[in-house]
Amino acid sequence: MSSRILPEFELLPHDIDEAVKMLGLHQGKASIMAGGTDLLVMMGDGFRADYVLSLGNIPDLAYIIEESGKWLRIGAMTTLAEVAESKVVQEKYTALWQSAAQNGSPQTRNMGTVVGNLLRASPSGDCCCAVLALDGWVVLEGPQGRREVAIDDFWLEYRATARRPDEIAVEVKLPDVKGNTTSAFRAMTRTTLDLAKLNAAVRLDMSGKQCENARVAIGAVAPTTIRVRKAEELIRGKEINEETLEEVGKVVSTEVSPIDDVRSTAEYRRTISGVLVKRVIEEACKGV
Amino acid sequence: MKTHSTTFFVNNKEYTLDIPVHRTLLQVLRDDLSMTDVKYGCGAGECGACTVLVDGDRPILSCLTLAVLMNGRKITTVAGLEKEGELHPVQEAFVEEGAIQCGYCTPGMVLKSVSILEKNPSPTEKDIRRGLEGNICRCTGYEKIVKAVQRASIALAASSPVKQKEGGKV
Ligand SMILES: Cc1cc2nc3c(=O)[nH]c(=O)nc-3n(C[C@H](O)[C@H](O)[C@H](O)COP(=O)(O)OP(=O)(O)OC[C@H]3O[C@@H](n4cnc5c(N)ncnc54)[C@H](O)[C@@H]3O)c2cc1C
Ligand code: FES
Ligand code: FES
Repeated sequence: MSSRILPEFELLPHDIDEAVKMLGLHQGKASIMAGGTDLLVMMGDGFRADYVLSLGNIPDLAYIIEESGKWLRIGAMTTLAEVAESKVVQEKYTALWQSAAQNGSPQTRNMGTVVGNLLRASPSGDCCCAVLALDGWVVLEGPQGRREVAIDDFWLEYRATARRPDEIAVEVKLPDVKGNTTSAFRAMTRTTLDLAKLNAAVRLDMSGKQCENARVAIGAVAPTTIRVRKAEELIRGKEINEETLEEVGKVVSTEVSPIDDVRSTAEYRRTISGVLVKRVIEEACKGV
Repeated sequence: MKTHSTTFFVNNKEYTLDIPVHRTLLQVLRDDLSMTDVKYGCGAGECGACTVLVDGDRPILSCLTLAVLMNGRKITTVAGLEKEGELHPVQEAFVEEGAIQCGYCTPGMVLKSVSILEKNPSPTEKDIRRGLEGNICRCTGYEKIVKAVQRASIALAASSPVKQKEGGKV
């Protein structure tokens, strides 16, 4: 025997319609698998799924489409490696690019997906952090057709999302960014293979030195990845300089509610979170 | 139990098998096809011992891949690297540098090194270390593995047709 035994499961739909029907038939008992880098590991760890519905045989779910002036759309089977190799993502959606390029190992990047990262809904998910800063939307398809959920409303609690049991996430969309918009992401880990003990991403809409609008996201400090709205308010309409950054750092450290775990302590996370956000903002500013 | 007829190539040989959906590629390669050069380390994506290349140069983890999804794919295991009894330059470099101790990580390490050099024929030490992330070795301390990849990079450059042509001009 050369590895652990997976339960017998047999859902291999050939298109989205068929997949949605199968999900309806096995209400709540089927887990969806994209790259499987999370799901199969969890199943090896004792997580029990009666059925696994693999998206692997559905063609045309791997794409990165730029609709100029509107959206960047990333399909459910687009891998982290494909996102990390995309020039458009690197130049315009730098935070997402960084969160994919530094994610796991070359092998897990060839298998794992961005959408899977969002659906995994881990508070330390690297793409979760970037997509929250970039104001993304998750597109879900179910028996009633498609609907779109803003990422701000997508994670309900620890590892729980707004996806209904008979819905499949078909893509994630990011609003188009203009030349004066910049973003950055950073994770604190032991190695890139390790899950983040802390990660942060920002998107800044700049007008010269002044910040017109900001989205600040931070992960591994609460049951879901969160926005630090008080920090966003602090920099909105202001010039980003040492002074504002100092204030942002302080606010972030008081706004987060981290816990102790194997990767780090709550106290360390609280202290460092402000520093991390400061550095990510500085890095984003360099990109304007 | 439903099985799916699946056709794929391993080391350029075609196989058609009836595979239950829940079987991993690792199980099929090792248990059904007796290809024990693919190793089982952790089964959890952490160690890279089960690495195989898909469609030439894309490393994936066979322990987290469903075999039925490999329809039409070309899979390379370490046993598929030699040509007519000659070791691949990367394999040769591993031997020359003594980058092998117990050997358990070696199939994955060698395949991973091949994929690094496919993408970037002259990687820096940092590129190599970054590229080898996801493959764990409990014996060598990695130093000699990095050296082996550097040696292979030089050997491959010396034997590539482009370089030979350039050499001919001098
Ligand atoms: C060694 C290793 C290192 C890792 N390192 C990192 C890291 O550095 N950073 C990080 O963020 N993550 C990391 N991960 C976790 C994981 O690889 C990533 O989160 C990856 O993006 C998950 O994508 P996937 O397609 O493999 O997900 P899957 O395992 O296929 O799915 C993950 C979850 O999302 C659900 N899901 C997936 N796709 C859909 C869909 N289209 N519709 C509905 N539900 C869906 C699944 O049901 C499951 O619950 C690592 C994992 C491993 C094994
Ligand atoms: S056995 Fe596949 S990564 Fe360890
Ligand atoms: S040589 Fe023993 S694990 Fe690498």
